[in-house]
Amino acid sequence: MSSDGSPRFARLEDVILDEAYPEVDLALRRGRHIDRDDVAWYTFLVDAEDHLEPLYRRFGCELIHRSDGYFYLLPTGDALGKRHLSSGEMLVGQALTLLYLEPSTLEQGGTVTREQVLGHLAGVVGADALVRVMNPKRRKYDERVAQETVRNKVAEALRRLATLGFVEIVEEDRIRLRSALMRFAEPVRGTKAPEAALARLVAEGELVLAEDDSASDSESESESESESESESESESESESESESESESESESESESESEPESVSDPEGGAPS
Amino acid sequence: MNPNRVLASLAQRGPSLDLSTLDLCFLAALHLRAESAAMTSFSEEQLADVFEQVESVLAAAAEPGQPAKQRRSTHAIRRLREQRMIARVDGAGIVRAGEYALTRLANGIIEFFLEDDTLTRDSLTVLTRSLLVGLGEILTAAKAAHTEEEWRMGVISPLRVTMGDLANGIERRQCGFDLQQEEFQREIAGLLHADWFGAVARCQELLESTSGTLNELNQILLRDTHQLQSLLQDIQEHAAEAGVADAEGAARTVVDQVDRIAAWGSARQRAWSEYYQYVHRYLRDVVRLDPARTLTHRLREHLAGTAGKQFALTLASAPPIRLLREVEIPPEEKPPVRRPRKEREQGLADAPAENPQAILEARVRGALAEGARALGVVTERVIAEVAEEERFVTTGRVAQAVARLGDPEATAERAWVPMQDGLMIEEWTVRVVAEPESQPEKEAS
Repeated sequence: MSSDGSPRFARLEDVILDEAYPEVDLALRRGRHIDRDDVAWYTFLVDAEDHLEPLYRRFGCELIHRSDGYFYLLPTGDALGKRHLSSGEMLVGQALTLLYLEPSTLEQGGTVTREQVLGHLAGVVGADALVRVMNPKRRKYDERVAQETVRNKVAEALRRLATLGFVEIVEEDRIRLRSALMRFAEPVRGTKAPEAALARLVAEGELVLAEDDSASDSESESESESESESESESESESESESESESESESESESESESEPESVSDPEGGAPS
Repeated sequence: MNPNRVLASLAQRGPSLDLSTLDLCFLAALHLRAESAAMTSFSEEQLADVFEQVESVLAAAAEPGQPAKQRRSTHAIRRLREQRMIARVDGAGIVRAGEYALTRLANGIIEFFLEDDTLTRDSLTVLTRSLLVGLGEILTAAKAAHTEEEWRMGVISPLRVTMGDLANGIERRQCGFDLQQEEFQREIAGLLHADWFGAVARCQELLESTSGTLNELNQILLRDTHQLQSLLQDIQEHAAEAGVADAEGAARTVVDQVDRIAAWGSARQRAWSEYYQYVHRYLRDVVRLDPARTLTHRLREHLAGTAGKQFALTLASAPPIRLLREVEIPPEEKPPVRRPRKEREQGLADAPAENPQAILEARVRGALAEGARALGVVTERVIAEVAEEERFVTTGRVAQAVARLGDPEATAERAWVPMQDGLMIEEWTVRVVAEPESQPEKEAS
């Protein structure tokens, strides 16, 4: 809404011509969640929601606006590329959601340290189970190497979740938890039985069950396998990277990983 | 002041503090008694008395089998004196029982623990008002000051001491407020821990009251710092016009302090605003929507793998748009490295050799041919053509050449004749025995 109470955007053309549109559009298409902390982008989406929903539906995806205060783009067809979070990313994301719900996080203004995340994961999942989840292909492992791998995988997951807008890496060691994390809690959120909620969300395309996502997960598994000793090196670099650097990296990854399921408009993705 | 030098000096002195709870309680008791009874120092008996009271208060925590109280109080006093918490102020040594007072260090520590320096609206108002009044007086003094003494007594000293102390007081209280904020954040988290849903009303009440206090503080800071800056600027201008650099410098120091105070206010306001929004959102989105913490329990179970099927979120992942880069024309290539064609060193060229001895002999021969028959005359002619520094050596060589080319007449007594530059030679009479030109050929043959 503008200051005089009239709608900010009268037509779709006004939305597309807005300065914020290209960046917001690209971010949404790359899986970014936009919440109230992204003040300018969030305000733009709230104002342009009525125009953008039918627009994105034509691309086979839904612009979702959750009551927790965040937007994201959900592909429902094959026109736009899609991916599923890996098991490691899901594990870290759910642990972060638990931390988001904890009153102790409130004391720190919604931020946690990497050590807290690791400690929380080990406490909830169990240290051995955590090592097994993060080292799925290795039957025998050296304890020290396995723990190092866990740390690296968690750091990598944090970096990816940050590019997707679930968290924000504010300092080298501190992570600000954002409201989009509540998406990880959707299946267990309602008053209905979790199985029913899960089935509904699967039907809506919000998520896939772990048994079904072997194909999509293979992508992330292959990434996991390819990570070697050099991972720690790249990790230390990635930890200090800014968000924009991370994004550009993830772009290049997705470019090489996924088949282009849809052809974006080379003029900036703005459909006419 | 060089920080490295200060640190090195501090490290060399090796200061350290080792204060137990009993020590701190003892110091706090002394501090409180000094305040309540308006005492500036304590006798040894009073110290022992206070120590005894403190020990009786902490008796429950005291370990069994401890030594006698009198010995322990003496020990505690000695330790506190070593750590500069208590100072002996009577200067009588062992002549009589001592008088002791708390040091500035001890008072600072105890005030910290007693949270005496919390920034409240009232304390901030009193301090800023005092600053304003004080600066107004200083400005008046600056306008009236003419002599160096007037500037020193009316402007420089009050700015350095009174105004500096008042500004320090505000800054100290701001630190106290920061600590209070931390405590407040802990309190909200603790309230939710203790009573998840029931604490909502209390949390909101706390938030509202604290943000109200902070808003009022900031309004005072914004309004008063503006006036303070204005007064200080006037003082600085007067000092600059009068050419009193010390007064200008003292005013600048207070300006810096006031700037810091104002910056603190805006920074805390911003941080508080973020925290305020976050907590409100948390209360609304998390606590109110999940009064029984069912969500947390379910999620924990799911994460532990004891409930529900594992799932993965679906995300949009459009490939990035391929934008062709602009072709960059490479910069012009540098010329290849080549050997220089010209020889750097010039080659040697043949030049006619110059024999100085032959030249000398030619000159001698010439003089003889012109009819000179005395060594002095020949020498005079030849050395007239050479440089001054070579004349001594040339004189000897002329004598040698004359002896070879002519036939010097040997007499028993030879006269000494003066030459140029203070030289003197033995005079010879010379007979020419052969043609001067044919002489070298004859020698060669």
